[in-house]
Amino acid sequence: MAKQAKIKGDGRSVGNDKKLKTTLTITFSIISIVYVLPVFFVLLNSFKANTFVKTRTFAWPDSETFVGWSNYIKGFTFGNFPFMKSVWYSFIITIVSTILILLCTSMAAWFIARVNNLLCKICYYLFVFSMVVPFQMLMFTLSKTADTLHLNTPYTIPIIYLGFGAGLAVFMFSGFIKSIPLEIEEAAAIDGCGPVRTFFNVVLPMLKPTMISTGILEIMWIWNDYLLPYLVLDRTKYMTIPIHIQYLQGSYGSVDLGAIMALITLSIIPIIIFYLTCQKYIIAGVAAGAVKG
Amino acid sequence: MSGLSLQHIKKVYPNGYEAVQDFNLEIEDKEFIIFVGPSGCGKSTTLRMIAGLEEISSGDLYIDGKRVNDIEPKDRDIAMVFQSYALYPHMTVRENMAFSLKIKKTPKDEIDKAVNEAAKILDLEELMDRKPKALSGGQRQRVAMGRAIVRHPKVFLMDEPLSNLDAKLRGQMRVEISRLHQRLGATIIYVTHDQTEAMTLGTRIVVMSKGKVEQIDTPQNLYNYPKNMFVAGFIGSPQMNFLDAKCIEKNGHIILQLGDYPISIPERKQKILKEKGYVGKTVVLGIRPEDLYVDNSSVEKFKNSMIQSQIRVYELLGAEVCLHFDFMGVTMTARVEADTPYRNGDTVTFALDPEKIHIFDKDTEITITN
Repeated sequence: MAKQAKIKGDGRSVGNDKKLKTTLTITFSIISIVYVLPVFFVLLNSFKANTFVKTRTFAWPDSETFVGWSNYIKGFTFGNFPFMKSVWYSFIITIVSTILILLCTSMAAWFIARVNNLLCKICYYLFVFSMVVPFQMLMFTLSKTADTLHLNTPYTIPIIYLGFGAGLAVFMFSGFIKSIPLEIEEAAAIDGCGPVRTFFNVVLPMLKPTMISTGILEIMWIWNDYLLPYLVLDRTKYMTIPIHIQYLQGSYGSVDLGAIMALITLSIIPIIIFYLTCQKYIIAGVAAGAVKG
Repeated sequence: MSGLSLQHIKKVYPNGYEAVQDFNLEIEDKEFIIFVGPSGCGKSTTLRMIAGLEEISSGDLYIDGKRVNDIEPKDRDIAMVFQSYALYPHMTVRENMAFSLKIKKTPKDEIDKAVNEAAKILDLEELMDRKPKALSGGQRQRVAMGRAIVRHPKVFLMDEPLSNLDAKLRGQMRVEISRLHQRLGATIIYVTHDQTEAMTLGTRIVVMSKGKVEQIDTPQNLYNYPKNMFVAGFIGSPQMNFLDAKCIEKNGHIILQLGDYPISIPERKQKILKEKGYVGKTVVLGIRPEDLYVDNSSVEKFKNSMIQSQIRVYELLGAEVCLHFDFMGVTMTARVEADTPYRNGDTVTFALDPEKIHIFDKDTEITITN
């Protein structure tokens, strides 16, 4: 009996569809592995003795190279500055900066999207323009200004992060706010809300998807940022994790790569947990505004 | 509940566009007022000015005798139902309905009582813990109504609340709104472009066009005595047929000449035409499709006011039939019984009921005889 291929409505056969799916799965699996591989090697090398990190980078740890948790212990106790203190400062800077960015920029975006006069339009384009200005252009004047204004502590540096993070956040929030029907805010006004209550009780909860996706982007950027805190913070008193890791490089070029790998592994764990927890919101945030709810 | 007074209300936008021109209206307590008109006529703008969502450029607005021009929407004691329902998507039905009372810091037991009562009236009891996205269009519409009811406002404002529903649901909700009006005894201002809604719901209708009020009257009076050609054409479906007619005097009688066909009109209308000096001039004759007859007895009865034409389109609507035909270069419609034997291509004599003929001034388009 002649074999007949099943044909779908659009004329493509079911067999062709399966092949396409398999090819795509294999391709994307390879791409994923390529992306994950460096992280995997960091983890692998964090259990090797310092000398073998360079010589047997891609080898599996064996009885000769495996040092157990000693790199982690060394990383924690290395130098005069405790690693946990760096973790604390990174944590404080990241959380405070992100909250500040989300709160201030969502309010600014709401105002810009709703008032929409010439001044608001100018502000909007300034925010967007700030995204294309390279950090290197500003960094020297910035470090001088930050010192003058005493923004060189982990508790004041979030103000600088607010400035650098505002462009992207305002861009994302105002795009989403434009898709919210104005009638909802008008209904709130009739129900008895003033502007502040309208924002916090009505607009802000609706911004949740965008808030989460913007928050994730900001958190990942600030947590991993090296240059800005390096230039601004008073490094005798304060260090973030990236700076701390860089400081594991001792004087005269001696580097303890094993300890560096161990601390890099530790530093990426929170961000991985955070990303995995919030990944469904990232998709929702990206889709929000594009699809009518 | 309460009355409203709109005195010389105007809305002029910064670009100079006059959306509402000199709007005057006195609304009694418990009235159901309908603003009706084509898109862009200013009906929603007027409603939004009453709500306080649009600034009033000039004129005075009084609610319950108090001038409210400069009072915030929240302090006007009004409730509004929006076209898109405008429910808070992050709140459940119960939270949506209770929101305004919560803001007013109403005691919790009072809020619960008001919300449960409204839910019972609108048959929402099963849906109280759902979010708006889990509701159908009709259910959302009822929640929007519930949100307005719980506040016991002085005035209900409704901006095309049924326009997003399908025809069947719209019919059901129309009845529900009508019942609600009777039950609550509320003053309601309702905006629509649907004349069926306007005719069935309103105690009085405000017909608007291009920012101006064309006529304010009861549904029956609007239908029977339209003040001008716009109102005559807007109210009634299919719309009124208009034909240019020469007003002439023949054997001591005033008749309207439609091409070769003389149309006799009642004595009262003849007298008015003569007194106002329209003899020898061209006027506009208006006749509603349901006032054109094709059955033999009517043709016999109105033998002095008949026209003849060939049917272009036969349109069966179920209980009745619309016959479309061309006459004097105008496409006309007659709405007749469904058992009519006439079909496309048949030449038919149409009798005009002289009592139902409307006559308008050709230049001003204002009624002469109503």
